[in-house]
Amino acid sequence: MPQNRAIPAWREGESLSQALVNLLLKGGSLVGLVALSAAFAILSPHFFTLGNWLNIFRQVAVVLIAASAQTMVIITAGIDLSVGSVLALGGCLAAVAMSYWGWPFVSGALLGVFFATLAGLASGAIIAKGRIPDFIATLGMLGAIRGIALLITGGLPVPSHFTATKLAGYLPQSIVWLGSGDIKGIPVPMVFALLVVAITWFILNRTTFGRSLYAVGGNREAARAAGINVDRVKILVYGVSGLYCGLAGLVLVGRMNSANALMAEGLELQTIAAVVIGGTNLFGGKGSVFGTLIGAILMGVLSNGLNLLNVEPFWQRVVNGLLIVAVVVFDQWRRRVTRD
Amino acid sequence: MVMPQTPILEVRNVSKSFPGVKALDAVSMDVLPGEVHALLGENGAGKSTLMKIISGIIPKDAGEIFLDGKPVHFLSPRDALNAGIVLVQQELSLVPDLSIAENIFLGRWPRRGVQVDWNTIFSETSHLLERFGIREDPRTPVGALSVAEQQTVEILKAVSRPNLRILLLDEPTSALSEDEVNRLFELVAEIKKTGIGIIFISHKLHEALRIADRVTVLRDGRKVVTEEARRLDERMLFEYLTGKPVEVLETGHGGDHTEAVMLALEGFSSGGFVRDVNLKVRKGEVFVLFGLIGSGRTTLARGLFGLERTAGKMTLEDKVVQPKSPQEAIALGIGYLPEDRRQALVYELPVFANITLAILSRVSRRGILRLREETSLAEDFVRSLRIKTPNIFREVLYLSGGNQQKVLLARWLARKPKLLIMDEPTRGIDVGAKFEIRAMVRDLARQGLTILYITSEPVEALEVADRIAVMRGGRVVRVFDHTNGVDKTMLLAVASGVS
Repeated sequence: MPQNRAIPAWREGESLSQALVNLLLKGGSLVGLVALSAAFAILSPHFFTLGNWLNIFRQVAVVLIAASAQTMVIITAGIDLSVGSVLALGGCLAAVAMSYWGWPFVSGALLGVFFATLAGLASGAIIAKGRIPDFIATLGMLGAIRGIALLITGGLPVPSHFTATKLAGYLPQSIVWLGSGDIKGIPVPMVFALLVVAITWFILNRTTFGRSLYAVGGNREAARAAGINVDRVKILVYGVSGLYCGLAGLVLVGRMNSANALMAEGLELQTIAAVVIGGTNLFGGKGSVFGTLIGAILMGVLSNGLNLLNVEPFWQRVVNGLLIVAVVVFDQWRRRVTRD
Repeated sequence: MVMPQTPILEVRNVSKSFPGVKALDAVSMDVLPGEVHALLGENGAGKSTLMKIISGIIPKDAGEIFLDGKPVHFLSPRDALNAGIVLVQQELSLVPDLSIAENIFLGRWPRRGVQVDWNTIFSETSHLLERFGIREDPRTPVGALSVAEQQTVEILKAVSRPNLRILLLDEPTSALSEDEVNRLFELVAEIKKTGIGIIFISHKLHEALRIADRVTVLRDGRKVVTEEARRLDERMLFEYLTGKPVEVLETGHGGDHTEAVMLALEGFSSGGFVRDVNLKVRKGEVFVLFGLIGSGRTTLARGLFGLERTAGKMTLEDKVVQPKSPQEAIALGIGYLPEDRRQALVYELPVFANITLAILSRVSRRGILRLREETSLAEDFVRSLRIKTPNIFREVLYLSGGNQQKVLLARWLARKPKLLIMDEPTRGIDVGAKFEIRAMVRDLARQGLTILYITSEPVEALEVADRIAVMRGGRVVRVFDHTNGVDKTMLLAVASGVS
């Protein structure tokens, strides 16, 4: 046995510059978050306060839940562009059931989450069985599901004064608590989102399903050749994505104390940005939900800081858009560097 | 008595470190005029590093280099080139659209006034081609030549430099057929006569012994030996290379396995190409499917593993089966190591996860992994198969080819299959790992595993096989029931259809 490989490839790659690059690659998003926070702290006296940070978390919760799902999908080398629409569908259904049909919180929430999950499973089935690229299938679903949400709500907010004749009640207190309540000063949505992140971590690192996600994304052929049912994994991961979006929908509806079919537009971009900033490979096989956590907070800090600095909301759109482009460029660069 | 000559090139105690590893440790060697000096070593032994230092691509940390007895310091490849040291790399650096002559004089075209002196270029190239017995028109575009011919042009380009002293050939035979290797060696022999020193880098032992006057072996960045080639044989070289004695592999097995049949194929066809296959593979034997590339061996194997459409009767341990997916085949107890490792490894997953990929349900309970069990199982395999990895959490990406192959082997052994199909398991891995994997295969069969072993190397077939089936054009053309009296010429003749 050749027990004498003087320069194993894994050591050859570790020159000093490589080590610095690695630091940037691995800690890049955290470094960015700290730098950004420091900058805002200097520019605005209101930034570095407990109240403001809790506020950031409150705002980030919805994106973070959906981005956790996006992380799993992207690890399988997929992408879910329908997250915003599915969220709207789940949230609207739940709100309609609760306020128009008089359903209690639990059954209304279950209904919304169930159909959101179903929508996700449908995307997965189209991708796996129809042999269609993930982004095409979910782009189609993005439009279709949003349409269904509009049909359900008639394009009006729920609950709405225009439909007051049918109104069975306002949204129950439970959902409002989920979206904007506090437990001893800590926002409920933040606790909920962190719980989702923890569960996602467990799925990715401690379950056979999670391992299959990495295998399918890393090398689909190899996963198949090792006896993994690739189609099943694909369908399931989109199902989980739908489930998470349904949950995020409840949180958003609770926070706004209202649902409407056009809510969470552009969520796909925000989640993809959070995932990619967090170091997950856009081409699959590699990634972690903790990275996504950092990525989502970074996005939240950015928008919060710009608000505090009274930057026009239009400018914020520009900044957010450019950030996404910059992140993808960064990701390309990262993959080039790590491949060498 | 050979008169002591002054070496053209002398390397004295050259060292080079990369962060975390000593790539070269006080290595010395020299090259005499008109000598072919073979530099051997496994991947990572330091031969590339030494070559890059000699040709000025990377600087040395310590030591001296003498050219014609005078110390030299190369700061760039250009310095080395000007001193007459030319490196011919594996990746050729020719411009395909330019002619042979233009390529040979690339960047130093002789001029007459402001014009390029085409007459000189073409006539000198003709001379050169003639001198080395190559029948090609100097005006032929290089892109129209075969790889071997392009390599010849590359070498001639080096030879045409008036100041050439040392020619470094880096693995020049890796892409050549046996015939082309012969022609290359004739060319090298011609160049020798001009008094130029040649360093021939290789990991093919027999080639080194054939062409070299002296051989230097590197291992772990240290020089193991410099010896005259006529005093060496392949076995000695192997031991120098790996630091271990060759385990003697007995050939001509057979007899000690049972007569019970593990796999029977009747009128079996696979992937529309392989037809009418009738075979019986016995329990606990190594059954070799021998055939040249394109003979249908891989298509047959893929069919057995549920990766191709199949027809006909396939019986596994008295049960008629027809796996339609790898999942089904695995459930039946079949394992498959594909020809191309890239089809089976998840490079970004760590070693342990690649090992357990086919037994996830066994190392988990209700979908939740039992990590301790999983990692200890992986540790066991890393130890027993001697997989070289810093730890089991290292991504497979960073392992050498041989160790990657062992990870795949571990995956299937963990699964405990009845039948293991191995498609060219020693392709593209270095010689030490090659021997080791062949020995493992024999060992596994002895322990009762049935192995279907695919290879296109006749020597390998004879070495591992209990029985051999030869394939040609999608059919099994002959089965040898034992390997006694079968030699490689016979196998090749049957495989290529020459009677």
